Amino acid sequence: MRMPWRRKQKEVVIPSAAAAAMSVLAMPLPASEETGVIHLQGVECSYPGSDEPAISNFNLLVRPGEFVSILGRSGAGKTTALRVVAGFEQVSSGYVRVGGQLVGSSFVHIPPDERRIGLVFQDYALFPHLSVAKNVEFGLKDFPADERRSRIAPVLKMVGMSGYESRYVHELSGGQQQRVAIARALAPDPVALLLDEPFSNLDRQLRAALRRDIKKIVAETGATTLLVTHDREEALATSDRIAVMGDRNIEQIGTPEEVYQNPISASVARLIGPCELIPGVYRGGVVVTEAGVFATRTTTDESISDGRQVLALMRASELEIEPAGEDEQWSATVELREFEGEFSEYSVQLDSGTLIRVRKRTTGGIEVGSRISVRARGESKVIVFVA
Amino acid sequence: MTFSGVISTGWRSTDGKRPPTFLVASSAIVALAALIPVGYLLIRSIGAGSDWFDIVFRANTAAVFGRTFMLILLVTIISIMVAVPVAWLTVKSNIPLRRVLSVASVLPLVMPSFVMATTVIEMYSPKGVLQGWLSGLGVNRLPDIYGLGGATFVLVLMTYPYVLLTVRGALRRMDPALEEAARAMGYGPMHTFRAVTLPMLRPAITGGSLLVALYTLSDFGGVTLLRYQTFTSTIMIQYQSSIDRTLAAVLSLVLVVIAVLLLLGEGFTRGSGAYHRSTVGAVRTGRRFDLGNWRWAGAAAVSVPVLIGLIIPVGVLVHWLVRGLLNDQQLLPLLIPARNSLYVSLLAAFVTVMAALPVAILAVRFRSRMSRFFERSVYIGFGLPGVVVALSLVFFGINVARPLYQSIWLLLFAYAVLFLPASVGALRSSLLQVNPRVEEAAQGLGRSQWGVIFSVTVPLVMPGALAGGAMVFLLTMKELPATLILSPIGYRTLSSSIWSAASEAFFAKTAGAALLLVLVAGVPTAYLTLRGHGDKVGDSDRLMKIDEVAR
Repeated sequence: MRMPWRRKQKEVVIPSAAAAAMSVLAMPLPASEETGVIHLQGVECSYPGSDEPAISNFNLLVRPGEFVSILGRSGAGKTTALRVVAGFEQVSSGYVRVGGQLVGSSFVHIPPDERRIGLVFQDYALFPHLSVAKNVEFGLKDFPADERRSRIAPVLKMVGMSGYESRYVHELSGGQQQRVAIARALAPDPVALLLDEPFSNLDRQLRAALRRDIKKIVAETGATTLLVTHDREEALATSDRIAVMGDRNIEQIGTPEEVYQNPISASVARLIGPCELIPGVYRGGVVVTEAGVFATRTTTDESISDGRQVLALMRASELEIEPAGEDEQWSATVELREFEGEFSEYSVQLDSGTLIRVRKRTTGGIEVGSRISVRARGESKVIVFVA
Repeated sequence: MTFSGVISTGWRSTDGKRPPTFLVASSAIVALAALIPVGYLLIRSIGAGSDWFDIVFRANTAAVFGRTFMLILLVTIISIMVAVPVAWLTVKSNIPLRRVLSVASVLPLVMPSFVMATTVIEMYSPKGVLQGWLSGLGVNRLPDIYGLGGATFVLVLMTYPYVLLTVRGALRRMDPALEEAARAMGYGPMHTFRAVTLPMLRPAITGGSLLVALYTLSDFGGVTLLRYQTFTSTIMIQYQSSIDRTLAAVLSLVLVVIAVLLLLGEGFTRGSGAYHRSTVGAVRTGRRFDLGNWRWAGAAAVSVPVLIGLIIPVGVLVHWLVRGLLNDQQLLPLLIPARNSLYVSLLAAFVTVMAALPVAILAVRFRSRMSRFFERSVYIGFGLPGVVVALSLVFFGINVARPLYQSIWLLLFAYAVLFLPASVGALRSSLLQVNPRVEEAAQGLGRSQWGVIFSVTVPLVMPGALAGGAMVFLLTMKELPATLILSPIGYRTLSSSIWSAASEAFFAKTAGAALLLVLVAGVPTAYLTLRGHGDKVGDSDRLMKIDEVAR
């Protein structure tokens, strides 16, 4: 239905050459490896009344069947990126393609209802006035009546909610609401599934269980999925690839292993894993810090000159501690020891007051309060970033 | 279980706390007092014996019933048709002057029906101003303003704000993600409104409509001036014209039955779905619809009811006042009625809030069957037309409480019974926002239950008490039938003196008093609207709020 206020973007007069180019751009292409199911190129989007764009020069390609997470701290613009894909926000520059078709740019804006995207909101947004079955059926209006009915049961079965068809939303627990929200989003066979912090309203235990279930469901349907989260565990556990948000755009994208093992910047490292970054000075292949001297490696092509101030990435699993010798140059104090079974985690206080964490086999434990020295475990090298 | 055990569990609240005795005692007194009018009416009618059935039919009741029903139906439907678009435009769209129009569109609420009626007759009657303007254009005869059309017109203008306030509150609280979810599932803007927004607004619409229907049922001044006889005006005529008041009493009871049916009907239309936000979470307000150039049309559409319901009536009053002053015509004396109105309304606000306080505290903090019963009985005034309460209290005054008869205390009693629901509602919702842990902390610091209520609870619910008081003040200022019946002889308030002049068609004489009334009533209304507490009047809306807070 055409409304009087769905306007402007279709009234803009475009020079004929540009129009020709546009018609090419707007032509639906089959989603392939190159075009991706979701493709954002140089996207900028700002909210009315704010000078700074919420995202700018944002690039992301999600390939068919892929599960991609956008990981970022709150306010980084990750939800904006999702809303741009869904069509709730208009972009001021760049191109948004969904299923190979241009759906958003400075001159085109396809409204959300024409994008065929499955969306799961942070608070699920289930319709409280409709039953579970009616909620799922809601998105199936374009299907013939008999197919509509035949689709509800399997999709509810898939999320493990068979038998709840006639319940109302307020009669369900948070986890059950979540499952219904996923069923509702998947029922119409969307081009892509978007999940906006879907586990943030659940308690920790439920979150982990549900995460596994959803990963399984998504894998079963083969749906291309884009998840937005600030929880690194969630991103690492579910995704084929993780896109780590920097300031208003994506700083690094790769498989969870790649991003975890080779974070390209201090901010990515902080987001991706529990770690401590301590200052040091770079001297031909090693870094000198107050915790000691460590062999280094870098994750970017940038070369570091001697004497340069750097940040050294300290991860509990890559470090080792042992009782300090008499005339040890660098030593630190064991502040706290947390027993975790086979391993124990030590909090080690450096002389400046900085705390770093070290994971160590529980056998041959070190007493709290004793002086120790910190070493790299085995052959591992410490990643350094130019400060 | 022993007998005393049974008694004590009856008093104990659901979470095992035992309410302080003084709270229970004062609530019980208030609840009993609120039941007096209906109770006494029942006794009186049963006393009339078996011929009351006869009486009802002798008075041509069926015809009056039909007329009343027609009026209620029309006023309610048209109010919804006016209020829902206005609410949507002022909350969800980007019309120019949105904030100003948002407050202005509620203000017709301050017009008493009899004042609205006089100005409507002046403007639109066959000899009215509009006819004068239009005759130049060749229109010789406007449709007759008297009767069903005119009564509907007046009542819609002054009651659509009830629906507006409840719908607006619901629109503001609605989770924008619901509409977005529908959009993502392929629903266009119009389709989304029909499939999601409108069903979500249903309880707010029915809640507001109930208020409209109950008001229409109880209106006396407006329908009388526009010569449309309803149940309420029939009762007034019976009461004023005949010596035997049994007929008036019996008809009042029928009126109570109609009101109860309306209340039940509202409960019936609520489905089994829930309407509050389905989850807790940050309240995000959705983006307003950009109407493009249509926004000017939107602003114009919102202005129409403001113009007809507020600006033109006030304009007519000002015109009368200026003309009266210039031509040195006789105007109503202002000073004494204004003083009486102010005095009685302030007193009513104070008494009502004080009476509401124990009931609200008991109902919210010590939930039990007992406290729920007290609260329900207080809500009876919600459905009782002023005429019924007043008549019943006349009988009660003459036969039981002789010393109170012909004093303003009986009048205050009537106001309190009528307006207790408004103040209990306001107190209740502000009490629900006070975390009970705060009170427990005070108790843990060594205060007695009594001490906690006075040192913690009461100060924290002051905003609610003020809102409730303002509401009672406004309603008392505008009240007509109970004021007419129960005022001591010679005791004139603004509304009763305006009425006596207006009912003899000396409209222009009322200008000064009416303007003053509108102004004084406008202050608390503006206060309530700006505070965003205006939606308190909505019963179902209140319930939604409670559900929200209780989660």
